[in-house]
Amino acid sequence: MNVLEIVKQRNSSHSIMGTRRTLVLLVLFVLASELAHNTTALSEVPLHGHSTIQYVDSPIGSPAGVVTLPSSVHHAEDRSGLAEAVSSPSVSTGDHLGEAGGHHGVAGEQGTAGGHGGAHEGIHVFTAEFARVEIPFIISLWIFCASLAKIGFHMAPKLSSIFPESCLLIVVGIVIGLLLFHTNSAGVSPLTPTTFFFYMLPPIILDAGYFMPNRLFFDHLGTILLFAVIGTIWNTVSIGLALWGCGLTGLYGFDLPLLDTFLFSALISAVDPVAVLAVFEEIHVNEVLYIVVFGESLLNDAVTVVLYNMFDAYVGMGQENIKYTDILSGFASFLVVAIGGTLIGVIWGFLTGFVTRFTNHVRVIEPIFIFVMSYLAYLNAEIFHMSGILAITFCGITMKNYVEGNISPKSHTTIKYAMKMLSSSSETIIFMFLGVNTVNDQHDWNTAFILLTILFCSFFRALGCIMLTELANRFRLHKLNRVEKFVMSYGGLRGAVAFALVLLVDPKKVKKQPLFVTATISVVYFTVFFQGITIKPLVKYLKVKRANKFEKTMNERLHEKLVDYTMAGMEDILGHTGNLKIRDKFKQIDNKYIRPCLIREHAAHEPKILETYSKLTMRDAMDFMRRNATSSNLSGGNSESMAVLFRNYTANNLNNSASIAQMDQGWNLDIGELAYSPSARDLSDAKVHHMLSEELWKPYRRSSRRLSYSRHAVNDQDLSSSHHVNHNMHMHIRRMVSETVRKQHSKRVKRHRDPHANGSGEGGSRNSSKSVSFKTLKENGLEKKLHDDYLHAVIKEVSEAEERNISTDDTGAQATGSTEDLDGDGAGGITFTARKASREAHPSTPTAVEMQLPWKRDDADDMSTFAIKQSEFPLWVDNKEYNNYYSPTNTFLGELDKKKTNHPSVIDIFTKDRTADSSEHGNNTLPSTAKSFDVTVTIPEENSKEDGEDEVKKVTNDKDCHA
Amino acid sequence: MGNHSSLLLREDEIATIQQETGFTPNQIERLYSRFTSLDKGDNGFLCREDFHRIPELAINPLGDRIVNAFFCESGSEDQLNFRQFMKVLAHFRPVKKDKENKLNSREGKLRFAFKMYDTDNDEQISKDELLGVLQMMVGDNISEEQLVSIAERTIVEADKDGDQMISFQEFCAALERTDVEQKMSIRFLN
Repeated sequence: MNVLEIVKQRNSSHSIMGTRRTLVLLVLFVLASELAHNTTALSEVPLHGHSTIQYVDSPIGSPAGVVTLPSSVHHAEDRSGLAEAVSSPSVSTGDHLGEAGGHHGVAGEQGTAGGHGGAHEGIHVFTAEFARVEIPFIISLWIFCASLAKIGFHMAPKLSSIFPESCLLIVVGIVIGLLLFHTNSAGVSPLTPTTFFFYMLPPIILDAGYFMPNRLFFDHLGTILLFAVIGTIWNTVSIGLALWGCGLTGLYGFDLPLLDTFLFSALISAVDPVAVLAVFEEIHVNEVLYIVVFGESLLNDAVTVVLYNMFDAYVGMGQENIKYTDILSGFASFLVVAIGGTLIGVIWGFLTGFVTRFTNHVRVIEPIFIFVMSYLAYLNAEIFHMSGILAITFCGITMKNYVEGNISPKSHTTIKYAMKMLSSSSETIIFMFLGVNTVNDQHDWNTAFILLTILFCSFFRALGCIMLTELANRFRLHKLNRVEKFVMSYGGLRGAVAFALVLLVDPKKVKKQPLFVTATISVVYFTVFFQGITIKPLVKYLKVKRANKFEKTMNERLHEKLVDYTMAGMEDILGHTGNLKIRDKFKQIDNKYIRPCLIREHAAHEPKILETYSKLTMRDAMDFMRRNATSSNLSGGNSESMAVLFRNYTANNLNNSASIAQMDQGWNLDIGELAYSPSARDLSDAKVHHMLSEELWKPYRRSSRRLSYSRHAVNDQDLSSSHHVNHNMHMHIRRMVSETVRKQHSKRVKRHRDPHANGSGEGGSRNSSKSVSFKTLKENGLEKKLHDDYLHAVIKEVSEAEERNISTDDTGAQATGSTEDLDGDGAGGITFTARKASREAHPSTPTAVEMQLPWKRDDADDMSTFAIKQSEFPLWVDNKEYNNYYSPTNTFLGELDKKKTNHPSVIDIFTKDRTADSSEHGNNTLPSTAKSFDVTVTIPEENSKEDGEDEVKKVTNDKDCHA
Repeated sequence: MGNHSSLLLREDEIATIQQETGFTPNQIERLYSRFTSLDKGDNGFLCREDFHRIPELAINPLGDRIVNAFFCESGSEDQLNFRQFMKVLAHFRPVKKDKENKLNSREGKLRFAFKMYDTDNDEQISKDELLGVLQMMVGDNISEEQLVSIAERTIVEADKDGDQMISFQEFCAALERTDVEQKMSIRFLN
C-alpha cells in the first residue's frame, strides 16, 4: 500500500485512533497534574495568543481508558504500511511534516500542554496521539530493546562466553517475535528487504571498509577475489545442481524447477559479511585467516547480486526463452556490477577526501561528510544496479587515508565511535529482526529439502575451500595449511543478506518461495548457531594461530617500512611485478599527485612513521603524567626544573643575610655543580615575576569562545592537525623516558660512566648520584639539561616513593598547598611536620618565608640533611611562559663563585672553605661542561649524613659551624 | 667469472650455485636471463650503473642502499658476478622447513635488513645511520629536528645495553613479533 494513502487514512481516523492509543502513563499524568497546571496555563494563554489553534481532537472527557499495547492494536494494512514507511522515511517524513504543519498548534503547544483546557474552547488539556509518532517511536523502541538485550548479555559473562552475541540476539528476537505473534500481531515483518539494504547494511559495511586494514587486504586481494568470485560461483552452481538433482528423484515430494533452484542457491551460497564479522570478531583468529574470510564475504556481494538478478530475470523469462546471449550478458553484467561498484566507491572516496580538505573551519561537520558521502556512494551504485556493498567498501578504503590527514583528532574520534555505534546497533537489530521474522505462520517445512540444503551448503563450501586454497597456495607465499582451510570453510556463515534476498523473491513467480524462506532461515540458524557456537572451541582445539593485537613499536614500524622498500627494490631488480611493486607504484603516484590534491597539509611520505611516533610519544607523556600525578606535586612535567631554579633565586634574593649559608649549601648542591649562574637581570626578572604572579592570580588566557559565542564552533585549534608532533613537549618527555629506560637497563654502565659518582662505591650506595651527558644540546641547552636532571630525580624519587608509604604523598601535597596561606597571614596553622617525608619524596627548597621566619626553620634538621629544597612552590612557578625563557645562559657559567667571594658578607667568613671548595669544583666541571655537557646532580637521600662522601661531609660541617 | 662467450650457464656453475643458495636449476636459469638482461654491456658482471638503469629502482628512496647492499655483500667494489648476485638474492627465498639454508633463514634476512642501516659495518646502528635512512624514507617535508627525535626514540626503544646504538641482537629483539620470514621473501617464479 502506498505510504501516502496510509497516512491519509490514518489522518482521517485520527480522532478514534488517537484516543485509543493514548498511553496509560500519559493519561495518568494528565489526571494527576490537571489541577496543578490549570492555574498557570490560564495565565499563559493570553501570552501565547495563538489564533491558529484549531486542532480539535478527542476532548478530555472522551474515554481514554481503552489503552492497549501499541503494537498489538495494529491492523494488518497498517503494519505493511509501517514496513513500507520505514523503508522510505523520506517520503513518510515529508508527509508527516505536512500533517504536522496542519496541526501546528498542537506541535507548538505541546510543551505547555498542561492546560489550555479550561481557557479556550476546543483546546484540550492533553492529547495523546500515538499514531503521529508511531513509526519513529517503534524504530527507536526496537533499537532500544536490542541495545538493552546487548547489555543483558554482558551482564551474564558465562552466557556470552559460550554463545556468540549473534545467537543470543536471535534468541531474544524469537522471544519478542513469539510475544508479538501471540498478541495477535501475526505477520509483523520489520525486516523488509528495503529496510535491510538501505538502512541496516550500509553502516556495517562502511565500518568494515573504513577500518579495513588496507595493507593486509591488498596483500591478500588475490586470494580474496578467488574465493569471492570463483568460490561463490562454484557454490551456486554446485548447490543448485545438487538440489535439483535430488529433486529429480522425487525426494521432496514436489516438482522443483531448475531455475528456481538456481535462484535459491544463488542467494544461499554467499557468505554473509554481517554474520562473519559477528563471529570472527569474537574468536580472534590470525589476521590472514580473518581477512581472507571477511574479504570474501564483502566482495562476493557483487557476484551474489549478479547471480541473483540473473536467475531472477531467467525465472521471469521462463526456461525455454533463455538464449545463450542472456547468459553471456549475465557475465558481462557481472563485470559491470563489480567494476562499476568499485569505481563509484573509489570516486566517492576521493571526493570525500577532497571535501574534507576544506573543512578546517567547520570542524563540527567533518564526520557528517564521511557518513553521508559514503552512503551516497552506496545509493549511487544502487541507482545503476551495481554492487552497493562494493561501492561503500571501497569508498571507505579509499577515503580513509586522505580523510585522516585532514580531519581533526576529535573528528576522528567522533567518526570512529559513531561508526562503531551505528554498525554495532544495526548488527544487533539485524540479528534480532532475524529472530522476530522467524516467528510466523507462513513456513513451509520440507525436511528433506532443508536438510539437504544445509548439507550441501556445508559440503560444497568445504570442497570449494579445499580446491581453491590449493589453487591459491600456488601463488601465495604464506601457504594456507589444513587447519586454516578448515576454519575458512567452517567460517562460511550465512546470514541476513541471504534472508533479505529471499524475501525479495516474488512468490507469484516462484511458487516455492515460502519453502525457500524457511530453508534460508534454517541455513542461517544452522550456520549462526551450530557453527557459530562450535567455532570457538574448535579454533582453540585446533590451535589456530591467534591474532596477537599490539601497537607497533617505533622499531617495528620503521624496520618494516625499510623492508617494504627493500623488497620493492628487489622486485624491481628481479623484474617481476609483485604485490609490493604495485604498491610502490601506487604510493609514488599517490604521493606525487593524489595526496597534494586531497590533503590540506601534505606533510611527509611516510605518514605512518610519524603517526606511530606521535602516538608513542603521547603514550609516554601520559604514562609519565600518570605515574607522577600521585606522588609528586608537580604542575607539569616540563616546567619543573626551571621552577626549581627560580625558587632558589628568589629565596636567595629575599634573605641576603640570615640564612645565606644554608642557601649557599643549596646553591652548591643544585646549582653550583651545574655551574649555573644567573645574571643580575635574570634575578631581578625572577623577582618581579614572582611578585606579579603572586598578586595576579593565574592570568590564564581564556578561549575565544567566551568572547564570541558560536554554537557550532568546536574549539580545537590546538589539536587541529593530527600529525603534528608537539615537538618541544615531546622532546622533554622523550629524553626523560629514554634516560629512565636506559638507567633501568644499565645501572652498572651508568656508574661506570659517571665521573662524579660517589667516591667510595659501597659507602655511597645509599646516596644516589646521577650523571647525565647530552651531546646534542643546542646553544641554550642548559635549561633542558636541568629539566632532565630534575626529571630523573623525580622519576627516581617516584619509583622509590611508590615503595614507601603513601603518607609521603599526603604530606607532600600539604606542603604545596601551604605556601599561599603562609604569605597571607604567616599563621602557624600550617604544620610542616612532614618535612622528613617530603624530603624523601623530593629534593626540596625552603621557601623564602620559611627562611625568613626562624621559627619556621628547623635548623637542626636542616643541617643534618641539607636537602630540603622543594617542599613548597610559589605560585609563579606554574607559569609556563616564564619558564620558557632561556634566560640563564651558559655564558655566565662559573661566574657565580667570583661574585660570591666578592660579596662582603659576615657569613662568608664562615663559609670561606666552602667557597674555595666550590670554586675549585667549578673549575673542574667547567671544561667538561663545555665539551660534552656533562652534568652532575647529587641527590642525597635521607641518610646522607652517614655517608662517606667528602663533599657532602664538608657541606655538613660548614653548616654546623654556622649554627 | 667473466664468461663473455656464452650466455648459457655451465652445468657445474648451476650446481655450485644451487648448493650455495638453494635455488632450483630452473630458478637459476630464469634469474640468469634476468641477470644478462640487466647486464647491458655483456660483461658478465653488473656494475652500479646497470642497477641504476632500472627505472623503478631509481625512484625507490632506498635504491642506493639496496644497490650498495648487493656490492657490500659480495665484497667487491663495482663488479657483481652472477654468483654474487644469486647469493644476495638467496636471502629472499621463502623459508622452507625441510631445507635449511643459512642465507634465507630468519637471521639471514634480518642481517640483510640490518646491513641496510649499518653503512659503516661496525655491527651497530648509530643514530646518524638511522637518521640517514629516515631522511630517505620520510622525505624532506618534515623538519630535521623531528626526524632526530624519531631516531632517538627508536634507538631508546631498542637499546637494551644503553650504548645509544642498536646492535644486531637488539635489532632482532625489536623485530621479534614481526613475521620477517614472510615479509622478506619473494615468490620466485618457477
